[in-house]
Amino acid sequence: MTIETLLQVAVSGLLMGLIYALVAAGLSLIFGLMDVVNFAHGELMMVAMYAAFTLWQMSGLDPFILLPIVAALMFGLGVAIYRLLIARALSVRFNRGMVQIFVTFGLAIFIRGFMQFVYGGEFRSITGTWLANRTANIYGVYLPLPQVAASLVCLLAFAGLLAIGRTEFGRALEATREDREAVALIGIDRDRIFALGWGLGAATVGVAGVMLAGFYYISPNVGANFALIAYVTVALGGFGSMLGALAAGLLIGEVEAITAQLLEPSLKQVGMFAIYLAVLMFRPRGLFGKL
Amino acid sequence: MVPSITRRRRRELVIAAVLLAVLIVLPLPIHDVYTRNLFIITLLFAGLAQAWNILGGYCGQISLGHSLYFGIGAYVSTLMFVNGHIPPPVGMIAGGLVAAAGALLVGWPVFRLSGHYYAIATVVVQEIGYLLALNWDLIGGASGVFIPFRGESWLNLQFRTDKLPYFYVALGFAAVTWAVAWWLEGARLGFSWRAVKDDVVAARSLGVRVFRSKMAAAALSGFFTGVGGAIFAQYVGYIDPDSILSGQLAILIALPAVLGGVGTLWGPFLGAAVLIPLREVSSSYLGASGNGFDLMLYGILIMAVALLRPQGLASLGAVFRRNANGAP
Amino acid sequence: MNRIAAAAAPLFMAVTLVAGQAQAADDIVIGVVYPLTGNAAPIGLDAKAAYETAADIINSTHAPIPVLMGNGGGLDRLGGAKIKLVFADSQNDPQKARAETERLITQEHAVAIVGSYTSATAVTISQVTERYEVPYMSADNSSPSLNQRGMKWFFRTSPHDEMFTQAMFQFFADEGAKTGHKVKSVALFYEDSIFGADSSNVQRKLAGENKMTIAADIKYRANSPSLSAEAQKLKAADADVILPSSYTSDAILILRAMNEIGYKPKAIMAQAAGFQESAFMTGAGALAEGAMSRSSFALDATASRPAIAPVNALYRARNDKDMNDNTSRDVTALFTLADAINRAGSAKPEDIRKALIATDIPGNLTVMPWAGVKFDETGQNVKGTPVIQQVTNGVYHTIWPFDVAVQPAVWDVK
Repeated sequence: MTIETLLQVAVSGLLMGLIYALVAAGLSLIFGLMDVVNFAHGELMMVAMYAAFTLWQMSGLDPFILLPIVAALMFGLGVAIYRLLIARALSVRFNRGMVQIFVTFGLAIFIRGFMQFVYGGEFRSITGTWLANRTANIYGVYLPLPQVAASLVCLLAFAGLLAIGRTEFGRALEATREDREAVALIGIDRDRIFALGWGLGAATVGVAGVMLAGFYYISPNVGANFALIAYVTVALGGFGSMLGALAAGLLIGEVEAITAQLLEPSLKQVGMFAIYLAVLMFRPRGLFGKL
Repeated sequence: MVPSITRRRRRELVIAAVLLAVLIVLPLPIHDVYTRNLFIITLLFAGLAQAWNILGGYCGQISLGHSLYFGIGAYVSTLMFVNGHIPPPVGMIAGGLVAAAGALLVGWPVFRLSGHYYAIATVVVQEIGYLLALNWDLIGGASGVFIPFRGESWLNLQFRTDKLPYFYVALGFAAVTWAVAWWLEGARLGFSWRAVKDDVVAARSLGVRVFRSKMAAAALSGFFTGVGGAIFAQYVGYIDPDSILSGQLAILIALPAVLGGVGTLWGPFLGAAVLIPLREVSSSYLGASGNGFDLMLYGILIMAVALLRPQGLASLGAVFRRNANGAP
Repeated sequence: MNRIAAAAAPLFMAVTLVAGQAQAADDIVIGVVYPLTGNAAPIGLDAKAAYETAADIINSTHAPIPVLMGNGGGLDRLGGAKIKLVFADSQNDPQKARAETERLITQEHAVAIVGSYTSATAVTISQVTERYEVPYMSADNSSPSLNQRGMKWFFRTSPHDEMFTQAMFQFFADEGAKTGHKVKSVALFYEDSIFGADSSNVQRKLAGENKMTIAADIKYRANSPSLSAEAQKLKAADADVILPSSYTSDAILILRAMNEIGYKPKAIMAQAAGFQESAFMTGAGALAEGAMSRSSFALDATASRPAIAPVNALYRARNDKDMNDNTSRDVTALFTLADAINRAGSAKPEDIRKALIATDIPGNLTVMPWAGVKFDETGQNVKGTPVIQQVTNGVYHTIWPFDVAVQPAVWDVK
């Protein structure tokens, strides 16, 4: 293996890892806030991809410009899902854990069916954007520009998420996470915080979806390709930890790229799953999870 | 307290016996192949859901990767039949045992995890099993294993077009899983599981060996799931990783128990009786349009039941009883 | 139990209702099993449109189209009986495909089954049709092992992967003899399901027989989030020809992934599938330029196959795209089956089977570039001769066999 190949593998892993991290971030945020694993997370990403596709088709504008619009739409969708479904799932008295798993799971199936109803099962692609299929060659290492842009947006989004943590809203989030019952006493509307948390989580995965749509295909089942990796990323990083999601995403991206080089590519996911299980043996709550 | 429990348990036994008798004669006047197939699949999933319920319901370990044990059972019995000419009734037991061993092997590391960490780990282990089967050419790899027709007989568990024998096999399977669950509800093991489920720390202080009792639940649950897989394989006549080791199947095994009521005796059966026919019929008559309607319906159904009856459909029975007795 | 029965009763009533409606007077019912939901749904939905187009041509009254059963007006030897298609969703699940086939035969009284795109479902469908003694017309399953199980009721109009792959290597040999361009090394790139396994097995064997080096042998995970590592391996091997066996999503992704690491392969020869889909052409755009693919269909062979234009126009009107490798095979399968039923003059499965065995249709009565349709004792059409095509200006053009080619092959497209 030449040094160029090695660097190229590392770069590919890094670029993909950042995407994984951003997809996982929204999931982790919602979990950390209210102990809910959203099994429709991949489907939310898929909705954002279709939203970007439709807006692009209607306006001809680059997904980059559409990014804030889609993020806003996804924020609204997240709040709506919380108000219509999750709030109710949290208020049940029996089997709360089981109920929230299967409510979001049912939602995932519904969204998939709905998108097939609206768009058909056909694979779609956003083409002819500014960066489409462009690469930069740096000393023999190729950088695909759509992915580079996506990675930068990912880093910005992470910076944004961490910055939110320092605002008053962020402190309210943190307080709600720490003690769900006590916050009511100090005048924080728990329900509102949860709704905003869902909005934020959906907007985050929406950003990932839009950036992904710049170089990935779109179909009703596309969420499933990323969802499992997102769950593994979140569990590896530790539920609720933003830095954990970032670190785990990068680790998973690199492990995937390296396994594919060393072993049969069809086994590359086995590599990332094995690392995940190995880490959990020593840290049952993930790399950055609170023990 | 004690006498009322035994009276309840005796009543359950009577209900089960009546139900079994009804189910034994039920398919006789129905000759439609599709309806009989519907019964078979429903009974099979009722049994599988009950098997899942042992670990997921009574012991409270929400496994989302049970298709792994289903697949192990199916592969073991099928390969024994195809390559070794060992009759499926034997292979079924062997498949169940290997699946149970697999469940212990998985349980050993995974039971250290709790809550969502556990649930996601079960998905990951199932996915690893799926990927390995897909890449393991010795067991057919992606091409799967075709089960040749070796003549109509109970020993081969093969019947040309007759569905009735499979119906009774599936019924027997469901009945056995129910009987095991019934026995567990009264047995010491069942009590320690419920303690583990409700409060691990308290269970430990009561002298329950938490890890060991989880392992016992995993082995029992894995065994019956494996047996179910073996029956399924012989019924369909062809297995491949996509159809018997998938994550989708793992959810389908857990779902009836969740809809019907986890950790209840009748929940998995009730859930299967509602969910499986609805799923099969809606995909048969709505799926052909290809517009995603059946998926939307399926999704709405799951959400609705989970939200409206979080303790499962089995709890409806309690509501009826209460009203009938006129007491809260 | 009462509650269960009460819950199930409306469902079964619905079943009988629908079944009741299916029994119109003289219709000949043919069951069509495809994945209509899930990942393979786009293919199934295209197939559905193709079968509806073909049934329409057979049933309705219109100006004659120069294709088998192209005169319209139903099956003349059965008093103008119409073909009625009943579709079923296999969800690409072998168990489901089996149950649906049983339903079509026993409830809808289908006299023959057509299907099914994916190999796993074809295995269980053909098992059922064998047991119920009803013909199964495999329209677009290309797994070579399907017809090797000694089945009486299995018929396949389509060529299988071995015939397709032989055509690829014959093309390489013919090109070498004609232009001097030699293919010395190949890179196998195939997805990890049954299609990739079958296809790569034949390719590995034929590459060996033709004394070519296998520079890379890459099995990849279908629907991966990323194929950049795989592209990296292909780049390192830099074979004379890459032989991909991929469905649409992966086909788009691998071309993009190779471009992302600055690799333009010397040549690509696809085992059709995803590379022949219109979604691939849109998704891959300019990156698809120069890609070659085997095909059972040649849209541009209008000179020798006059039926292509009218049939394609009708399909376009229904589905807003041109016929492709799959949909053309679907149309052909239904025409062949309808012709056999008509010749049999009977809707009895055994009569249809005998008529199918006697089938001998010349190529120019089909929309395919094939020599014709004639089944051997395993039910395989031995006259289904594939073509090789290449993308130029975003459209596939036939480049081999040379007598039907519309342009020469271009190597090293930059």
